[in-house]
Amino acid sequence: MKEQLEALLQEALAELAQASTEEGLQELRVKYLGKKGAVTGVMKGLGALSPEERPLVGQVVNTVKAKLEETLDARGAEIRAAVKAQRLAAEKIDVTLPGRKRPLGSKHPITLVTEEICSIFAALGFAVAEGPEVELDFYNFEALNLPKDHPARDMQDTFYFGESVLLRTHTSPVQIRTMLKQPPPVRIIAPGTVYRCDSDATHSPMFHQIEGLMVDKGITFADLKGILTLFISQLFGKDIGVRLRPSFFPFTEPSAEVDIACVICRGKGCRVCKETGWLEILGSGMVDPEVYRHVGYDSEQYTGFAFGMGIERIAMLKYGIADMRLLFENDLRFLKQF
Amino acid sequence: MIVTYNWLKEFVDCDLPPAELSHLLTMLGLEVERMEEVGGGMDDVVVAQVVEKNQHPNADKLSLCKVDNGKEILDVVCGAQNFKAGDKVALAQIGATLPGDFKIKRSKIRGEESCGMLCSEKELALSTESSGIMILPEEFQVGTPLFDALGTKDVIFEIGLTPNRADCLSVVGIAREVAAKLGKKVHYPGLEVNETGAPIADIASVEILAPELCPRYTARHITGCTLADSPAWLANRLMAAGIRAINNIVDVTNYVLLEYGHPLHAFDFKLLAGGKIVVAAAGDGEKFGTLDGQERELTATDLTIRDGEKAVALAGIMGGGNSEIGEGTTEVLLESAYFNPSAIRKTSKRLGIHTESSHRFERGADIAGLTRALDRAAQLIAELSGGKVAKGVIDVYPAPVEPRVISARLSRINAVSGLELSADEVEDIFRRLEFDVAQTAPGVFQVKVPLFRVDLEREIDLVEEVVRLNGFDKVPATLPQASVFSDLPSDAQRLAARVKDLLVAHGLNEVINYSFVAPSSCEKILLPGEDLRSNGMVLLNPISDELSVMRTTMLPGLLDTAVKNISFRTLNLRIFEMRRIYLPVEGEDLPQEPLYVSALLTGRRDPEGWNQGKDEIDFFDVKGIAENLLSELNVGGVNFSTEELDPYYHPGKACRILSGRKVLGSLGELHPTVQENYGIATPLYYLELNFEALLACRKKQGAAQVPSRFPSTFRDIAMLLPRELPVADVISCVNGVKAPELEGVEIFDLYMGGNIASHEKSVAIRVRYGSKERTLTDDEVTRLHQRVIDALQKKLNVSFR
Repeated sequence: MKEQLEALLQEALAELAQASTEEGLQELRVKYLGKKGAVTGVMKGLGALSPEERPLVGQVVNTVKAKLEETLDARGAEIRAAVKAQRLAAEKIDVTLPGRKRPLGSKHPITLVTEEICSIFAALGFAVAEGPEVELDFYNFEALNLPKDHPARDMQDTFYFGESVLLRTHTSPVQIRTMLKQPPPVRIIAPGTVYRCDSDATHSPMFHQIEGLMVDKGITFADLKGILTLFISQLFGKDIGVRLRPSFFPFTEPSAEVDIACVICRGKGCRVCKETGWLEILGSGMVDPEVYRHVGYDSEQYTGFAFGMGIERIAMLKYGIADMRLLFENDLRFLKQF
Repeated sequence: MIVTYNWLKEFVDCDLPPAELSHLLTMLGLEVERMEEVGGGMDDVVVAQVVEKNQHPNADKLSLCKVDNGKEILDVVCGAQNFKAGDKVALAQIGATLPGDFKIKRSKIRGEESCGMLCSEKELALSTESSGIMILPEEFQVGTPLFDALGTKDVIFEIGLTPNRADCLSVVGIAREVAAKLGKKVHYPGLEVNETGAPIADIASVEILAPELCPRYTARHITGCTLADSPAWLANRLMAAGIRAINNIVDVTNYVLLEYGHPLHAFDFKLLAGGKIVVAAAGDGEKFGTLDGQERELTATDLTIRDGEKAVALAGIMGGGNSEIGEGTTEVLLESAYFNPSAIRKTSKRLGIHTESSHRFERGADIAGLTRALDRAAQLIAELSGGKVAKGVIDVYPAPVEPRVISARLSRINAVSGLELSADEVEDIFRRLEFDVAQTAPGVFQVKVPLFRVDLEREIDLVEEVVRLNGFDKVPATLPQASVFSDLPSDAQRLAARVKDLLVAHGLNEVINYSFVAPSSCEKILLPGEDLRSNGMVLLNPISDELSVMRTTMLPGLLDTAVKNISFRTLNLRIFEMRRIYLPVEGEDLPQEPLYVSALLTGRRDPEGWNQGKDEIDFFDVKGIAENLLSELNVGGVNFSTEELDPYYHPGKACRILSGRKVLGSLGELHPTVQENYGIATPLYYLELNFEALLACRKKQGAAQVPSRFPSTFRDIAMLLPRELPVADVISCVNGVKAPELEGVEIFDLYMGGNIASHEKSVAIRVRYGSKERTLTDDEVTRLHQRVIDALQKKLNVSFR
């Protein structure tokens, strides 16, 4: 009987080794270990054995059963692993196909640059101020020390609606409106849309500026230089060269044009900087006493500075845009890059 | 303003190389916009000697020359005939680049090799006309670069002057700045006028009838002049400055204008009736022919220079054809005067004549220095034309102007600049600028400013002069000790940025359209003529008719942008613009400028792709965006109404957006006629919201809700409703059941057609129940749900499926 069991075990093991599916395994389990299975059949014969033999053979039966169970489980695991591996192999996809996307929006580069500049100045304690785009001559020119017939008005080609109503040519009227509304100290930054009747590759009839104004006791031209140098290093990087050179604006004195080392050629001279190595990006200066007179500030007690910059110019430098018109063509193939 | 390096050096000792001088000028506020070498890069054009001149074997009009360049004898073919063997000529050797980017290469001309070119003056840009090649003086050394031999090597600086610096509209003016910066003195040339003629009083007279417009008029007389071309040195300098040479008299006036900055005018004296000058206003409607050949109609505000009978010049702007220097001129009356800047500006602007002369008078000429220019020009004319200068000067100057005295405090200079200058340093700067200065008290200066500095009137002007001359580079960079604390960005700015972020997150691309639109744009979006928006503000001087009206709605701009992009085959568009519109206000000068959030969508909902949805955008996409935006901004009482829709909407697929009764904006599908008007094939969906109205309707942010720790239970209801019944009524009916356990309701299905009767629709909702204290039992949920069913049945009479 013992031999019979051994033979049975060998037969079962051989069959198990052949089985390749879970179903096949199940059938073998029934065949050998089921109620009518071969091992069970052998066990039924136990009763015919002598009491001495019975425990010995019983032990063999148990060993065989255990061996079979163990092999069944192991073989089952093997088969499941193989099946899974096969399934996974069959499920292989082409990962080079593009993913499923939701549409992705974008902000206009003008908005991006405006937000960046405003956040730099916010960190320096400047609050955002705004003013109307359709303006009165008084705020746009008169109060900024640009009386009628002043040659400096030729610097700005103005759109008019009537004698005294116009489209603001710069964001500087926001200075006037702010100072008329509040006593010093003042520390504002005023982004906005401005207009000049000029249209070619380097001029758009509508463009954007950011104006800054700081008025308090003891503010100096050196402070202007400090604030603008700090700002430029934040916007263009710490190592960028900055220089202030004398200029003229009717509403500031002393006035300074602020240049940065050309970001394209790093100061060596190229077409963008017209071989000078410098790029003009800001106009600035100490607020002219005449402006204080118009807003009722005491110029003996308070000093301050103002500055203004064209956002398009900065956006063009930052993003390497050669033609300003691209910023206003609203071609989505262009805008989606930002 | 154009000056050249050599010209400047005539007036100031400056050994800086051109590039450094350029930097110095720029840092003085005289920005050098262009620097160009004359004859620079032309070292391959050399002095050569013709050794042999032979007839070209294959061409009658060409000659074959052997030319010595000092190193070798070269074969050169030449087309000109005005030379002979032995002449010194200008040879452009192989490798030379002539003006106009003309490169000299080895070539074969009619079968004969030519190793260079013999040049004319015109080919070297030394003159505008020339006949034949340039024959050089015998003493020129063979092999020397031509421009070195000519001594005309120079550097042109083009300076972008700010409008305040009238004093720098001249070589002398710029030399003065260089001298001040370098601490040198300007050499003013000796102005000895060789007066060999009769006394001028016997020849001519001047009378000023309008002294407020012409406070000073001076004149000299030169007789016996012979009109000729100017010498090359003079013509070249005019050419460098962009002025065409005409003749030796007119050219001198232009030369002195460039040198001293003072405009002069030369009259043909024989053409002046009565030999006299009268300065007077024009007659109203008077016709006058300026020397550019145009006839001008003058008004009584225009100042004229007249003779005994008629106008002979438009004062300070342009001479008249009737007294012009020309063939036959032998006697010259030379004018040097001062005219009122604003009068010149008005006339020049009105007549549209801008000249070198008007440019300077408008900005303010030097009333004291004008005789210097007069003397210099008279002497030069006499020298160049062989004329005799009459004795004396006519100088009508009824009320001489005194230089201004400005007081300036050292303390102020340092307080504004942030510098720490001493009184001596400041005084030195003033002196270098040719100002007379006296210290009346320690640190208090009385500064007498020369009359050529018309830009200096106040203490602050002197502060600037000190900082400027001392050098902006010497100003330290400091950070202000501010007493003011920053305001945080206001809600409006913060939320505007948030709205843009949200729209970007919804896949929208921001665009920026011009604020001005075409007059027809309102009609194209079907707004009636009487609508306020059809009456936007009109520009008096637009760039073009297409950009002539301030927009009153964002829609036309977005539609134009859509059309443009569709033409580039960008068919799936989701764009937004958050900017202002301009609504005129009755009785006010300035319009309202509300900030609008607007969006336009068309095409597919998802980006194109092999695995992407193919559905088209519809009304509910744009409504979903609006709802998210309103919820993000926490706008209260939001409701949608189909009444009073704007005419640009599809009447059945659009709504207004309100908060309570306040209109916030609208959204919907655009009217098919609008779509047709713009030639767009796919339906368009539009959203507009008045941002300031949104801000006004924001609810206070409530305390944050703690979510329940127990699971909710969901129950569905499917029902049949009359088709006309808004689903919103179902939702509000469910929400009307007052039970704290009723947590929410969603519509999860809507079905029409098929087996549903045509007057009905099938709607399925899912109601969520839950409690913060425990998990609700099935019985409790069933009881609550029954209340909901009862309410729907009772209030809306729905039938359940």
